[in-house]
Amino acid sequence: MNPRTRHALELILDNLVWFMLVFVLVVFSLLIPNYFQLGIFANIIEASSVLGVMSIGLALVIIAGHMDLSVESVAALSAMAVGILFCSSGIGLGVQLHPQWLMVPVSLLLAVLVGGIIGVFNGFLIVRLKMSAFIITLASYIWVRGLVLVVSGGRSAQDLAPAIRWFGIQRLIGLPLTAWIAIACFVVFSLIMAKTPFGRHLVMIGGNETATFRAGIRVNRNLIIAFVLAGAIAGLAGWLLAIRTSGATANLGVGLLFNAFAAVVIGGVSLKGGVGTLPGVYAGVLLLSAINTAINLMGLPANFTQVIHGLLVLAAVLLDAFKQTIRQRLA
Amino acid sequence: MSEPLLVLDNVTKNYGAIQALKGISFSIGRGEVVALLGDNGAGKSTLVKIIAGGLEPTSGRMLFEGKEFLARSPAEAKAAGIETVYQDLSLCTNVDVVANFFMGREITRKVLGVPVLDERAMEDVVAKALANAGTRIPSLRTNVEHLSGGQRQAIELNRFVHWGGKLVLLDEPFAALGVEQTRRGLDMIRQVANQGIGVVIITHIMQQAFQVADRIVVIRQGVVAGDVARNKTSPDAVINMITGETLAGAGPAS
Repeated sequence: MNPRTRHALELILDNLVWFMLVFVLVVFSLLIPNYFQLGIFANIIEASSVLGVMSIGLALVIIAGHMDLSVESVAALSAMAVGILFCSSGIGLGVQLHPQWLMVPVSLLLAVLVGGIIGVFNGFLIVRLKMSAFIITLASYIWVRGLVLVVSGGRSAQDLAPAIRWFGIQRLIGLPLTAWIAIACFVVFSLIMAKTPFGRHLVMIGGNETATFRAGIRVNRNLIIAFVLAGAIAGLAGWLLAIRTSGATANLGVGLLFNAFAAVVIGGVSLKGGVGTLPGVYAGVLLLSAINTAINLMGLPANFTQVIHGLLVLAAVLLDAFKQTIRQRLA
Repeated sequence: MSEPLLVLDNVTKNYGAIQALKGISFSIGRGEVVALLGDNGAGKSTLVKIIAGGLEPTSGRMLFEGKEFLARSPAEAKAAGIETVYQDLSLCTNVDVVANFFMGREITRKVLGVPVLDERAMEDVVAKALANAGTRIPSLRTNVEHLSGGQRQAIELNRFVHWGGKLVLLDEPFAALGVEQTRRGLDMIRQVANQGIGVVIITHIMQQAFQVADRIVVIRQGVVAGDVARNKTSPDAVINMITGETLAGAGPAS
């Protein structure tokens, strides 16, 4: 095999999920009437913003060789915190700040802070006390959702302050600002993972924790930061969720966790850690969203989505194994 | 040799009720190659980990460059100038050769105040280091998982030669190497020692120890069973020290 074909093949393997996304979009555009229009594509991006942001945090922790099941509940708690403070009906307190725009940074900070605190809690137990990430974050997944129920009393908050709602309504080049926030998150965190020592260290910790420790990398510190980031990013996802639904309900975002897992795995992140990139995860998120949109357009019952997502995850894992064999042959 | 580089003074290590090291005392000079020999379970790897900051001793003290020394983490040992090559390789196979070579000490440049990896500068350094050592690896950008065992060990060895420091600890460094690569590895050790760096090499192979070491230290059941200059002993004598048929050196009998 000459170097050029080898290079081309590696390029395809590295970005396989993007090729899949393009392939799926082309097939849907050809087969489903009305699929091929800018509005639909904008909708795919828009619908994936909350899931996308949440997947970033999850991907960071998985790449570092751990796991965070709590992101969904954390997002719900952040959304509920924002909802209770800044919604004017339901259980909302309708807090007003002057000037109005001040509510944006305050609500954002609150959401991120709530997520960050739970991230610190998870990170401390997992890293310092060496407990299993799966168990600790499973516990958080349950008790944080419980906390949402407790603080809301099972009721909901509606009518988010217009100053915050503005992010979901105002459009820039056809996309609401919330979608741009998600895209910006992907760009920023992709750069952090690919270009900074911190990102490089997370990948290496996921690959061989002992080696990084021996090399003098502060493994514990990096891992705790990863968990805090996952929590804070989940908080941001909750903020976007509150804007999207103009409030918060007690069961807000239920099921997002498994979609996020699906997106991360489809995006090429290995659950064993150390493998995967954030652009791939974004492609995975868009792929899920594109398929959802197709199901809606074809008028299939929404119940099909779960079946298809499940099969897609299965396909992604099989594809990953297949990619490994090809790579070994290349080397 | 005036002042020794590292002095171990009655270092012990207990794992619960088990005494892995019962009081180890010896010293390493600058530019000296010390071969650490001993049967399986004699405590060689434990000793290396204590010097390298992976384990803390139960009692005893160490002097590094004349000063009291105790590394609580590998990072501290590294900061003091102690490099370690472990027998189970310390490579991240999921990243490329360059990333492994610079693990934990990446070259960065500031972009808007944020440290950003300077990949080109790092690749140049690695290319030069590997070329100097005569190691051929097709692409420095291939992930280490696709490289052979010999190539991986070569990366580790080149890494310690490049970073040098003041003291190098090698725990069975040639386990996966072929004849020619081992010879080159031994040359590397000599070359490193000639720069005034102290070298401790753990090995099972008597021939390697006699090829490269200035001094041979034998550990048996957690104590120093022999500490002799290479040119004043013979492989047979050393084997006797390892198995305990004779007690030729310092250290209390257990």
